[in-house]
Amino acid sequence: MSYRPGDRVRVLPSEKPGHVRTPGYLKGKNGWVDSLIGTFPNPEDLAYGLSGLPERHLYKVGFRQADLWDDYDGPAGDYLYAEVYEHWLEPQGGAS
Amino acid sequence: MGGTPGGPIDTGQHEVEDWELLADAINSVLGAKGLQTTDELRRAIESLDHYRDLSYYERWTAATESLLVEKGVLTSGEIDEKAAELERRWSGS
Repeated sequence: MSYRPGDRVRVLPSEKPGHVRTPGYLKGKNGWVDSLIGTFPNPEDLAYGLSGLPERHLYKVGFRQADLWDDYDGPAGDYLYAEVYEHWLEPQGGAS
Repeated sequence: MGGTPGGPIDTGQHEVEDWELLADAINSVLGAKGLQTTDELRRAIESLDHYRDLSYYERWTAATESLLVEKGVLTSGEIDEKAAELERRWSGS
């Protein structure tokens, strides 16, 4: 599925083996779609010499820093933005 | 580093060494010739056993070696033999 800016999303807590482009500290975390960056061949397949097709949507996803780190003691308005491919996201509340 | 404590960061400038320039150049050539891609290099770098013990270009060099062996461009024996030959030449013996 595709997401639109503002959609609440969760990063899959997948332990998919091999090369992944999703930082471990984001797995299972809730955030929101900021924007669509573009559509690109899947780098997780390109890493093994494959075509990476079909191309995947890449989103800029926002997270509250306090949601990422157990001991975060910075301002509540601190955010982290990361680039996450669509196949690593699901709607918050589970896949629909 | 990767979401875990990585220790202090050295923000000082340092000279790029000749072998580091060469590592970069070789990487560009392998890319231009279609023998290696950035995505493959990232995967190979992350797969290194001693990732955290290596410097930036040491990672590039070790990962490039593993990719070239994986792809059958060179064998470990050929690389080790050449390295030993260079070692002998530079040590003057």
